Amino acid sequence: MSTVLETPARAVEPAHPARPWAAVFALARFEARELRMTVSFVGIAALYIAWIVWQSTRSEGDYPVLQDVDRATQSMPLLMGLAVMLGVNRAVLRSHRCDTDRHFDVLVVEPWRRTVAHVLSVVPAVLFTAVCVLVQFTWAALKPGAVGNGSPAELAVGPLTVLLFGVVGVLLARLFRSVFAAPVILVLLLFGMLFVAPSSGSNWTSWLGPVVTESGSSPFPSDLLGRPAGWHVLYLVGLVLLAALVAVLLSGGRTTVVKVAVAGSLALTLVGAVGQSSGTPAGSTPARDRATNAPEKVQSCLKRGGSTYCAFPEWTGRTADWAEVVDRVQNLAGGSAGGERLTVRQRIDATYGLETDTLISPSTTPGQVTVGTDWGGNRVPEFAAAVASVLVAGNEKAGSTVCDARMVTIMWLALGGESDPMTALRNVRLDDSVSGSAIVLSPTESMSMSAEQTRIVVDLLKKPRYSVAGKVKAKWTELTSPKTSTARVAELLGVPAADKSAAKAEADGDSCQE
Amino acid sequence: MSDLPTTPTVSASGLTLRYGGTAALDDVSVRLGEGVTGLLGPNGAGKTTLLRVLATAVPPDKGAFTVLGNDPGTTAGRQEVRRTLGYLPQAPGFHPDFSAFEFVDYVAILKELTDRAARHGEVRRVLDAVALSDVRGKRIKKLSGGMRQRVALAAALVGDPGFLVLDEPTVGLDPEQRMRFRELIARAGEGRTVLLSTHQTEDVAMLCHRVIVMVRGRVRFEGTPAELTARAAGRVWSSTERDPGAWAGWRTGTGSFRNVGEPPAGAELVEPTLEDGYLLTLDGESSEVAAA
Repeated sequence: MSTVLETPARAVEPAHPARPWAAVFALARFEARELRMTVSFVGIAALYIAWIVWQSTRSEGDYPVLQDVDRATQSMPLLMGLAVMLGVNRAVLRSHRCDTDRHFDVLVVEPWRRTVAHVLSVVPAVLFTAVCVLVQFTWAALKPGAVGNGSPAELAVGPLTVLLFGVVGVLLARLFRSVFAAPVILVLLLFGMLFVAPSSGSNWTSWLGPVVTESGSSPFPSDLLGRPAGWHVLYLVGLVLLAALVAVLLSGGRTTVVKVAVAGSLALTLVGAVGQSSGTPAGSTPARDRATNAPEKVQSCLKRGGSTYCAFPEWTGRTADWAEVVDRVQNLAGGSAGGERLTVRQRIDATYGLETDTLISPSTTPGQVTVGTDWGGNRVPEFAAAVASVLVAGNEKAGSTVCDARMVTIMWLALGGESDPMTALRNVRLDDSVSGSAIVLSPTESMSMSAEQTRIVVDLLKKPRYSVAGKVKAKWTELTSPKTSTARVAELLGVPAADKSAAKAEADGDSCQE
Repeated sequence: MSDLPTTPTVSASGLTLRYGGTAALDDVSVRLGEGVTGLLGPNGAGKTTLLRVLATAVPPDKGAFTVLGNDPGTTAGRQEVRRTLGYLPQAPGFHPDFSAFEFVDYVAILKELTDRAARHGEVRRVLDAVALSDVRGKRIKKLSGGMRQRVALAAALVGDPGFLVLDEPTVGLDPEQRMRFRELIARAGEGRTVLLSTHQTEDVAMLCHRVIVMVRGRVRFEGTPAELTARAAGRVWSSTERDPGAWAGWRTGTGSFRNVGEPPAGAELVEPTLEDGYLLTLDGESSEVAAA
């Protein structure tokens, strides 16, 4: 058997000019394709896309606050970064594992240029992450009711994290010639992040990690965040450059330029690290105090109907939604409450920064209702309950201490105008129940409903709205009197009386004692 | 030593390389011209070391060499040498999950063939040349040993190097595959310089226009295969019993003994082969030969 050579053994044009950097880019493209085809990358990328779709559809009806949405883009890139890190680490070690080093080391593209190519091979994964981040952010920004401002620095953290993980994968391969080194070091790093540098952002060590998630109970105006996002980006860029250049050094690129660049990137990293560790910016603390204790100094107010709506500048577009709820509740109220001029004021507690979960104290100002910086979902019936409590009790403080039969009126006012009142009732109660006693949530302090009050409210919510509204308006004075018993309220509103044991239990105490 | 190339592709003088106290190369000087040059020698003779030095994998401790006029002693010169080099190492490694095409393409990139369309054309050309075009999309881990060796040869040939270094490319191949490989190497030697390290004297006899024999890190012979064969003229004889005075002797298929050494008077001399000349050149330096 012989080989028939139909093609010439030599190329027509044998010579080619030196193109070292073109070869680096060609190799980077090749390695990027290999990286994209790894099972872990494909799996994580699919998971990432599915997560974005799920996140966006899950929170349908919510009202995004963009200065929180930008931070929410940072967690999934961590997973993406892990896949990239392990993939690129294996790719760099491929020649060693497969014993092709002996061959490749005498080829034109030197090992240090191959290291540069491996670093560049991460770029498509970084771009993919950047696209995912932008899609996630844009999707939220385009939702009706989106408020606030995203930070480009916060949005850059996700892609930079993937880049950093990829570069660290290359560096680890140049430091340790074992495929087990990267996973082991990864586990150690994760433990380090858990115990030394928690990602919560409460101290300077947490900023040494790539992603610092800080989330409190409610969003802040963007000028109160005080996150050193710009410094952190500088720190990450410095780390990326430092890891990449050290990897180049280790693989033979020991030129003066590289050594100087290593020193420069180290300086950049240190500048970023110092900048991000300096704590809350000087101007943020008084601004947070002002927003917490004297929000009227920084808010703008709009009049809608008879009421006034005061919001932080980024939330002024949301006053129409608040007004709609106020109108709906007031339409059901009787006496002077239906026309009462309320002041809806947005309030936050920013004293201790993002991570505090402090309850806002109820206002004692007559006719003032507190609204938070969150909106949509459960926040809507909670706000309605607050409006109703002020209409019935006169102010928030008094409303939050209502334990008597007025709770029936408050809850019916809050929920009677809802399109799906039973769901709204479930949502506004802490235990998501529609029977028995429960805590009722509001933007400030919670209220309490007894089991009997719940039974009456449920019964009322099942009746046609117009028939109950007529009775409420007609019997408004008695219904809003603290002296009226629950049994009397039921009677006034046409709800069948409770059995004797329930009635006795109700008479023995109020809803606040249950 | 006759027929030295007047304008050599490779010119080396005084190459010396020591590993600890052992001289892997000891003042080696060679000149290689167009065509296939065979490099023979027993294990540990320094063949692979010489190839690695000429392939710029390791620098010599002493001595110098040029490839197509480029001096690998400088960074720029070394890069130029590598641009003209095709190297097939001993027992080459592969990326088993790559297809044959991908592997050769990868090597082509490392040889600075950067234009994608032209590079892919070149990869197809060399895979055709080693008769692997039908399996170019197949993963290397699914190819036979002979096919893998041809992938390695294609990787060495890609970019049309002027200087091809082949380190025992036919080891482990069956006779048919070896014959196929000889054909490929012979074709590769047309118009370029090929240095072929081998234990197979048959390969040298059939492929090479020149041969170098190395023993203990030194060049013991450099010339044509005919000149190496001629060294055994009058020193190979046939007998019915193994001649105790022979340096090496073995029973042939016909039942008679073939002896190599200094023949006794009246011995029945037979036509020497390249292998006889090679064995006599070793002069008992190889343990393998002594065992024979």
